[in-house]
Amino acid sequence: MTRLAMTSPRQTNARSVSRLMAILLFCLCPGILLSCWFFGIGILLNILIAIVSALIFEAICLVFRGKDPKAQMKDLSAVVTAVLFALTVPIGTPWIFIVAGIGFAILISKHAYGGLGQNPFNPAMTGYLFLLLSFPLTMTTWHVPVHDLVGGPISPLSIEGIQQSLIASFPFLTFDSSISAAIIDGIAMATPLIEYKMASPNSLATALSTDTSPWSRDAGTGWEMINIAYLLGGLTLLGLRVIRWHIPFAIIGTVALLSLAFYSSGGAAITGTPYMHLFGSATILGAFFIATDPVSAATTASGRLIYGVIIGISLYSIRVWGSYPDAVAIAVVFGNFWAPMLDHFFKPTSYGHESKFSQLVKGLKS
Amino acid sequence: MNLIARLFSSKHSTAVHKTSGGINPPPFKEHSLRSQIMPTPLPEELWLSLMQRDGKSLETLVSVGDLVLKNQLIATPTTTYGVPIHAPTSGQIKEISAKHVVNSFAEPQLHIVIAVDGQDKVEPLQAVTQYQSLSAFQLIEKLHDLGVANVGGIDLPTSGKLNLAMQSKTQLLIINACECEPFISADEALVREKADQIVSGAEILQQANNAEKCVVAIENNMPDAISALKLALANSSIELVLIPTKYPAGGERQIVQAITGKEVPSGGVPSDINILVQNVGTAYAAYNAIVIGQPCISRITTLAGTPLKTPKNFEVLLGTPIPFLLELCGNDERTHESTIVGGSLMGVTLFDDNVAISMTTNCVIAASPEWFPDLPAELACIRCGNCADVCPAKLLPQQLYAFSRSQDSENLEYQNLSDCIECGACSYVCPSNIPLVQYFRASKATQLAQVQQTQLSEYWQERYQYNKYRLKKDKEESKERKARLIKNRSTKTDFDDFSKSKAKIDIAAAVSRVKKRKTESALKKIQEARDDTGKPQT
Repeated sequence: MTRLAMTSPRQTNARSVSRLMAILLFCLCPGILLSCWFFGIGILLNILIAIVSALIFEAICLVFRGKDPKAQMKDLSAVVTAVLFALTVPIGTPWIFIVAGIGFAILISKHAYGGLGQNPFNPAMTGYLFLLLSFPLTMTTWHVPVHDLVGGPISPLSIEGIQQSLIASFPFLTFDSSISAAIIDGIAMATPLIEYKMASPNSLATALSTDTSPWSRDAGTGWEMINIAYLLGGLTLLGLRVIRWHIPFAIIGTVALLSLAFYSSGGAAITGTPYMHLFGSATILGAFFIATDPVSAATTASGRLIYGVIIGISLYSIRVWGSYPDAVAIAVVFGNFWAPMLDHFFKPTSYGHESKFSQLVKGLKS
Repeated sequence: MNLIARLFSSKHSTAVHKTSGGINPPPFKEHSLRSQIMPTPLPEELWLSLMQRDGKSLETLVSVGDLVLKNQLIATPTTTYGVPIHAPTSGQIKEISAKHVVNSFAEPQLHIVIAVDGQDKVEPLQAVTQYQSLSAFQLIEKLHDLGVANVGGIDLPTSGKLNLAMQSKTQLLIINACECEPFISADEALVREKADQIVSGAEILQQANNAEKCVVAIENNMPDAISALKLALANSSIELVLIPTKYPAGGERQIVQAITGKEVPSGGVPSDINILVQNVGTAYAAYNAIVIGQPCISRITTLAGTPLKTPKNFEVLLGTPIPFLLELCGNDERTHESTIVGGSLMGVTLFDDNVAISMTTNCVIAASPEWFPDLPAELACIRCGNCADVCPAKLLPQQLYAFSRSQDSENLEYQNLSDCIECGACSYVCPSNIPLVQYFRASKATQLAQVQQTQLSEYWQERYQYNKYRLKKDKEESKERKARLIKNRSTKTDFDDFSKSKAKIDIAAAVSRVKKRKTESALKKIQEARDDTGKPQT
């Protein structure tokens, strides 16, 4: 009886890549649902447009690269890229921008480098940066349905609100003359950091709601609640060992320390409390879901810590002293540049080898 | 789990140090542990491999047609890498022919085939009654003569390992009963049933290399074996160490790290840090050899897998063909897809089932598609780092994989590829189903080939350089010779002038001589003519 040669180990017990990606998507869900509650269905439209275009681009790329699209697309990596991208672009971004951004992410940032596992930079973030640099105004305008034509507040989940969200995403749509004429504004309501950057602390107090209910629909409360949801999702990821603690810990720790060190109560609002920096921005989402993208991040324990610190420092620096309100994308891509070097130099001491430290001590002694 | 295990073990004996990496696969040991160790009936034939560890063959002491008795010495080693073979039972030498071995990539090796006569006629044994009085060297010699070899890992003769340990004054002897790989339960069954013999065997091994201290290390998930050992160790100086259950806790390097906290240097052996590790099966064989005088002719082997009706541990004669054992357990051919020798993580899948049990065959798994489905297709590495988390050698398999694919030997060396023990933990956890160990094995082979290539090219380079040097030297020498010749010639010119002048004088002398002679003869003729004319004519 002769058989095919098989090599050890014959037994495996691993969660597949698609399973890991599915868990990640699941952990994002609470934050997404809360975003719907506070800012309308804009985020769902973002995600929908992004996923559909990502899958189309992915299929095209795989066919051109001579791979089997059916088998390869099961890994859900394109969907994860699409969702993360959709979460970072402003709510109510017209569909064509999202398609363009996803196109850059999948075609240039992912497949031009050799597909899954080969991309040196986070595709979702490079896609976002491509849009940010090309269309800075669109990328800093958040369309949130909060007012109707007369200026009375409306619920973002009312029919009018949903229609406004749809118009923001698909500008060619017309429902009713009154609604299409409505100025979809919201301006910076959904991104407190923009407000904080420009505002003095006094005007900040008025910008933030005095309503203490956690469900009140103002930007401050909304982002806090969404970030708490992302935090819970991120902790779930940690608990399920989909990600490791090093990167989120290093990023959040660095941002918290820096914002504490540079805190000034009388100065500009952007030098606000660590709480504002963590829960009034995309820090949590970035730390748990974006910077931990394994392909483009550092892979050793010490490397991951340093990678997280680099991202944390650049995140805070760009936010406070740079010209961008939130800088997760830039910071993550900046961190990506370091990752290969960190992998090379910060490897653990292998079994049976002397650690660099003890080598140094020996060298100093002799 | 680990914390509990550590608390539990520290209560009883030496504290255990943390080892890096590791996985916790389901053990699958309960089926084969249900029954006691059983001796097998005699097979029709025994196939005993003549292969030594260094690739050379043992020297046979019998020829085809000879009748042999049980325990009779039938082959002796030619180098220190060989283990003498004793006939496991009586019979006739049927042939000496090439047969497959477990390693499917190796060439078939020479085997002595014994046609078993079924009578089991025994050559009397010579027991050593007072082994305590023997010196370490005498014990080592005795162990060597009776064919005691390492039963775990590599079947080097135990004597070699002991000799090596003797040279480096062993402080600690570890008897390894940590059987961490799934499916294998041979050591656990052995400890459960033969704890007393193992303890005596451990004492013999300790005496054979004068180790200061001896411990028996066992995983903490073997309650029966642990209680049996505790009982046996009650009046002994040997300590019991419980090792937290994980794979690969029983690897030689891992067990040294767990017990001493020290690491075996890269590329070295435990003897380098004055530690000797011996398998529990070796201790049992040592007991049999010294106390009973029984040469090593059998071992305990686990037969496991769902196609087997009665998986169990057998005391198997060395050389028993694997198909015979499978049949003995009621193998269901319909679900039996392949046969694995060893555990599910490091075991070798047989290319051909017609292979005999050797000293290192601790387990035979009849694999069914139910427990061993075909591995899913390999996907792209996403560099998740799960492999690095479980690597017991603290390597970075994700980096090694990338460099293996690009055949970047410089970076492979920088990432310490040679320290990979091929345990398979990385492949076990890989979400992309990448057969990492296979990549590393291939890279190691390439590296070895490269080293050999470099050595060869260095050799030829040296030859070439020498040739060049020799040609140059020859040229220089001939130049020098010529120069000397010319120089010699120039000194010769004086001589020549002299000789020329001398020749001239000689010639002149000769010419003058000839002239003189000519004139003389002419004068003579004239004289004669005068005399003729002057003479009166008659």
